[in-house]
Amino acid sequence: MVGGSSGKLVFTVNNLSVHYGRNLALKDVNMEIRSQRITAIIGPSGCGKSTLIRCLNRMNELIPGARVSGEVLYHGEDIYGPSVDPVVVRRHIGMVFQRPNPFPKSIYENIVFGAKINGYKGDMDELVERSLRRAALWDEVKGKLKKSALDLSGGQQQRLCIARAIAVEPDVIVMDEPASALDPIATTRIEDLMQELKRDYSIVIVTHNMQQAARVSDETAFLYTEVDEKTSDRWGILVEFGDTSQIFTRPRDKRTEDYVSGRFG
Amino acid sequence: MRDAFHKELEALDQEVVRMGALAEESIQGATTAFVENDKTLAGTVRKGDDAIDALFLDIEKRCLTLLAQQAPVAGDLRLIVAILSVVGDLERSADLAYNIAKLVQLEDSVTPTGVKEVRGLVAELGSEATKLLAAAIEAWASKDEALAADIGRQDDRLDDLHTRLIGRLVELKGQESFAEAIRLALVGRYFERIGDHAVNLGERVRYFLTGDEEHLG
Repeated sequence: MVGGSSGKLVFTVNNLSVHYGRNLALKDVNMEIRSQRITAIIGPSGCGKSTLIRCLNRMNELIPGARVSGEVLYHGEDIYGPSVDPVVVRRHIGMVFQRPNPFPKSIYENIVFGAKINGYKGDMDELVERSLRRAALWDEVKGKLKKSALDLSGGQQQRLCIARAIAVEPDVIVMDEPASALDPIATTRIEDLMQELKRDYSIVIVTHNMQQAARVSDETAFLYTEVDEKTSDRWGILVEFGDTSQIFTRPRDKRTEDYVSGRFG
Repeated sequence: MRDAFHKELEALDQEVVRMGALAEESIQGATTAFVENDKTLAGTVRKGDDAIDALFLDIEKRCLTLLAQQAPVAGDLRLIVAILSVVGDLERSADLAYNIAKLVQLEDSVTPTGVKEVRGLVAELGSEATKLLAAAIEAWASKDEALAADIGRQDDRLDDLHTRLIGRLVELKGQESFAEAIRLALVGRYFERIGDHAVNLGERVRYFLTGDEEHLG
């Protein structure tokens, strides 16, 4: 269940499973994520989409009782290896959340904060402008960088969060429902931004908006829930992974067909 | 979920079957009218074309609405795309039946002897074309890939008949009625084109069922 062959391999996920305490949440996921591509992860609520992407930057460890098995290779190196510092991992893999969460600081400070922690020695002003330009926000805020980030609109705040993620120079940006709290115009701007960003970054996006997945992504992973009839335990599995146009014109698995056609939730 | 959408899609699928039945009736009628030189029947075929055109328009509009409002994907999308293509083939087939009926009404009542045998060939073409379209509509109605795949083979027979017809018509050159020969050539051609539409229909059934792009275009 691998994707297309062009684009350098960024992540290789091998037999990844996640438990929260005794509960299996995600079972045996195998997939590849490549650079300069947008990979969408779709599936019904509770199927493990957010769990999966939190494995990519070790954010699952912030949840008590979370346990990961299998491996996640980032440029060939297992990020769960014994000598790997999760904080360093999280610096390389930027994350943008559903609700924009700028720091309660100025626009300028939001961008430089992470860079300072990382020991960035270059010109901060240049970094701020570059990051805001890349996030398609510079023109709107260039005259008010000292203003509080919380004064921005929802869509602008989200683009600021993207700029903030870009400022620490990751090569992957993971987005968990980045536009679901935004109005349609702001959503379109985020989607257009993703198309620009993919030239330089690998983007993974979780979305429950199938039309969005179809519009923006190059490859789509469909996750679904398996249920143990006897115990009623449920866990997420990867059902199908392929080129987005193939997933939305001729999916191979009937569960994928039923889900994308809206034949079940 | 999305019950209303899927019910409408099923209804449109059935409308295609209904349109197919009307087109089949027209082609059968045109063939019979030709064989028996029945100008009244030909008139009935011509009058029936309006209903087919109206159905074509209705189905297209309903498909457009579904595309605009429901953002169909996967099998649903392939079905709508197939429907849009198939109703075009059915409408053209019915138009060809109309043209044949029109030519029947223009024919002289007396058939020159030399042309009788050639008329027999055209009648055979008509019979084959009717069968071919009926098979295509059946393949659509039952979504039968094997039946759809066979249509191309059956059409080869139709093409052979047409080639023979042209050969015979060319031999008539200089003899008998030139105008009659032209009419027979046209009628023969229209039947052969109906066969081609039936082949297209079969290919669309296969595309819908398999998603294989070799059945497009």
